[in-house]
Amino acid sequence: MSEEAQLLFPLWQIDRQEYRAVCAHLGITPKAQIYDRLCGYLASAPFRFPPPTGFPLFLARLRLTRFRVARLDMFTKLFLHNHPIRHVLNGVIALHECNAEGFREMSAAPTGWAVPLSLLGWAAGYAWRLAVTVPWLGWRLLGYAAGAPFRSKGELTAKRILVTGVNRGLGMDLMLHCLEQGGEVVGTVRNAQARDELKARLPAQAPTTLLVADMSRPGALVEALETAQIRAESLAIAILNAGVKYEGESVLSLANLRDTFQVNCFSAAEFAAWLCARPTPEARAADRVALVLVSSMGRWHGMHFGGGYNASKAALSIWGESLDMELRQSSNRRFTVTIVEPGIFESGMSRQTPLTRFLFASRRDVAQRIVSGALAGERAIRPPVWFALLTWAVCLAGRDFRYRLFARAKQNAERR
Amino acid sequence: MRIVVVGAGVSGAHAALTILERGHDVELWDVGREEAKFPDEGVSFHDLKSRLADPTAYFLGTDLDGLIPPTSNELLRYPPSRQFLASPEDPLGSFISDGFSAHGSFAKGGLANGWGANALAFDENDLSGWPVSFSEMEAAYKTIYKRILVAGPLDDDLTPLLPGVHPSQPPIRLTAADERLLQTYQRRKRKLAKLGVTIGAARLAVASDPSRRDACDYCDRCLWGCPKASIYNPRVSTLKECEAYRGFHYVRGRLVLSLLSSAGRITRIRYLDTATDEIREEACDAVFLAAGALQTGAIFLRTLKAARPDVSAHTEGLMDTAVVRVPFVQLRGIGQPPATRSFQFNRLIVAMITETALWPRYLHGELLHLTGLLYYPLIERLPFDSRLSRKLFFVVRSALGAATFFFPDRITSGNHQAITDGSGRWEKIQLRYRESEDKEQYIRQSVSKARSALRRLACVPRGVVRSPPGAGIHYAGTVPMGDGPKRCDATGRSNLFSNLYIADGAAFPSLPSKSITMSLAAHATRVARSAEL
Repeated sequence: MSEEAQLLFPLWQIDRQEYRAVCAHLGITPKAQIYDRLCGYLASAPFRFPPPTGFPLFLARLRLTRFRVARLDMFTKLFLHNHPIRHVLNGVIALHECNAEGFREMSAAPTGWAVPLSLLGWAAGYAWRLAVTVPWLGWRLLGYAAGAPFRSKGELTAKRILVTGVNRGLGMDLMLHCLEQGGEVVGTVRNAQARDELKARLPAQAPTTLLVADMSRPGALVEALETAQIRAESLAIAILNAGVKYEGESVLSLANLRDTFQVNCFSAAEFAAWLCARPTPEARAADRVALVLVSSMGRWHGMHFGGGYNASKAALSIWGESLDMELRQSSNRRFTVTIVEPGIFESGMSRQTPLTRFLFASRRDVAQRIVSGALAGERAIRPPVWFALLTWAVCLAGRDFRYRLFARAKQNAERR
Repeated sequence: MRIVVVGAGVSGAHAALTILERGHDVELWDVGREEAKFPDEGVSFHDLKSRLADPTAYFLGTDLDGLIPPTSNELLRYPPSRQFLASPEDPLGSFISDGFSAHGSFAKGGLANGWGANALAFDENDLSGWPVSFSEMEAAYKTIYKRILVAGPLDDDLTPLLPGVHPSQPPIRLTAADERLLQTYQRRKRKLAKLGVTIGAARLAVASDPSRRDACDYCDRCLWGCPKASIYNPRVSTLKECEAYRGFHYVRGRLVLSLLSSAGRITRIRYLDTATDEIREEACDAVFLAAGALQTGAIFLRTLKAARPDVSAHTEGLMDTAVVRVPFVQLRGIGQPPATRSFQFNRLIVAMITETALWPRYLHGELLHLTGLLYYPLIERLPFDSRLSRKLFFVVRSALGAATFFFPDRITSGNHQAITDGSGRWEKIQLRYRESEDKEQYIRQSVSKARSALRRLACVPRGVVRSPPGAGIHYAGTVPMGDGPKRCDATGRSNLFSNLYIADGAAFPSLPSKSITMSLAAHATRVARSAEL
């Protein structure tokens, strides 16, 4: 997995390469132990400082190079004191100052006649940086304005979000994205060990409630929520992401099949029944609740030796659509049902090239897309769109073609 | 006779010592937390960075909680390694703030653990609103200046303005930046006199005679905890003197909550035993409240509520000095090498005398040149990008300074402590405080004058940094001297309970500009001397 993918909150944290760029801009030598400290400090930033929005958020998403650090440093110092880059620069200077070598390096200053000469040189450098920053900023502003109609919005401050299966994969990215955006997360994991490991990774200030719920047991999710006294009306979004897949198992393995259906489909139905049941006056007065069912593009076709995973996801999608119909029929506008069918996204395992970056959205981008789609009340989300179109095209090509295609894909995967 | 002094800060320690000197036994009740030992005696602030195993944790805290964010107005923060200040979440805390940041301490020595060491005495004008004259206070000041070592010149321009101050130690060594400022002052003294500004060496409660074992070694770590205990701290001097008396009993682990009374006398003390977390009661014959103005006010309010439910359960007042800093650049200091070892707190003070009707005549200021500090908040405050700010800062470092002024306060309606109705094991106290418009005007005028004075000293003032209400930590006036059931008399005795004495700043009826610590000690000594025991 790439280093960037390991960062909990990439909006605030920087990877080693970015840290080197910051040090190069400041004219100081990077130090590994200082980077580790900085990373830990910035991991708690989403819970100490308000999240950036609008254009500052657009700028915060840029990957830091030495050139960009110089531009952002100048712009944010003049206009955006609360921008994440200011916390990065302030933290880097503070940490280097506490280090004996770092302080010696930082505090070296000209004396005597060298002072006016240095001041002249620095003033010229500053004027040059300012001259480059202004058009760069104009260019970025244009880019921001041009992308505005396509940009997703997702204000999560003071919202409580339930995410199941948060200990890894998309579930973890969903949780981290929600936390980064100011939300409070109720997350579920399968066992106590996974909960403890996850707790150790998260900053102490992170507003998370981690519950243990083995979803292969009927009623486990609802039971865990009730034990933790989480009320249905307190949730703004519920993302049912936890899933299981018995790779290599036949669809005739009934025990695995039942387990797969319980985790991937029936647990969602149990939860929805709890969420929608007997709304109290308090619940009726509460804001709209978005129920998000994380299915898969695989629900459109069969797959051999997948333990019934595709079948369970097909059931989940169809059941979700049915629930949506029932809610609309009964004019219940408090709940929206969003069905997410992710296709392929960048896992961090493959080598990153401009083409892969263009084709494959990162898992964090998919998480962001899901949350903003849920808030907007979208009925279906299928990232990336090209993959959904491709899948449907494959489906139209007939069962023989699909068999040959997936059999070859499986063989290639096994060879790798 | 069972005499209990509540609180082991400056007031409590001097009240206890005075009672012991009178031949009585004393119990000193205190929560009594202890700070960890300060590391590496003799090593300077910047050298600590290469001596400590984890300097980052020491300077910024294990989780970097002490790191000042770029959005903050703070220029410095109490180091996370100092533990004498109680956190707002402390389970022993009693206060709910409304626009007032209350600082408290449950450490042995109290807030004096963080004292900036400026040792001044209130003069006749400072005491003009008090039922006590300067001559009445002077005897107590003389005692205090014998008990506490004070470094400072015996005769300089400030001496006529500082009656009652009796230095016994040589002045603290000045840095080259201080010397430059003083030289400019000497040249332009007449122009500055027109503004009412006088500058001189600070009077500091510091052992500075090099022949003393505890003499200041200029390690630049005053704020971080003096490893040699050169700066006065009741924990290491006055309380040690008390311990020489057989009749002295220091009782740790007691947080006094309220007092129980009968027929106008305090009969029992209700307290939390912090070891067992149980609330208990014990009998007493006389009580001296010296827990700090906020805690003393809280104890008094709870006592009042039980004894006199007909009297409104809020204090007569709540005061604190407003702290305003004017940062400046001393032009002659640009490009000069920084001092390697110095006394970290201010080494120069400035008196700003006003001839108008404003009270008090003397506005106290401290001139501080930067030495042993973490500089990153200052670098962030410079108006250029971090790349240039970082380089520029270290060129002008020796030239940077700040003039800090402490603005007086008076008892005004609306600024007080009040008991809340909330549930809990003991009643919480709401702090209500707003700055008055008069004070704001005084601040504006004085800051304008200070900026003019700095310009005449060949310095460039830049900006004004205002600390939030409560940050002055000169709390006073919660049970002030005066008439009425919620006040005490001129000797500190409660008007309501004949054996209760207000021995700390709670009894001050007004709060002058000067540092209050010596006056706290003098007041406690005076109260203990005149108490009917």
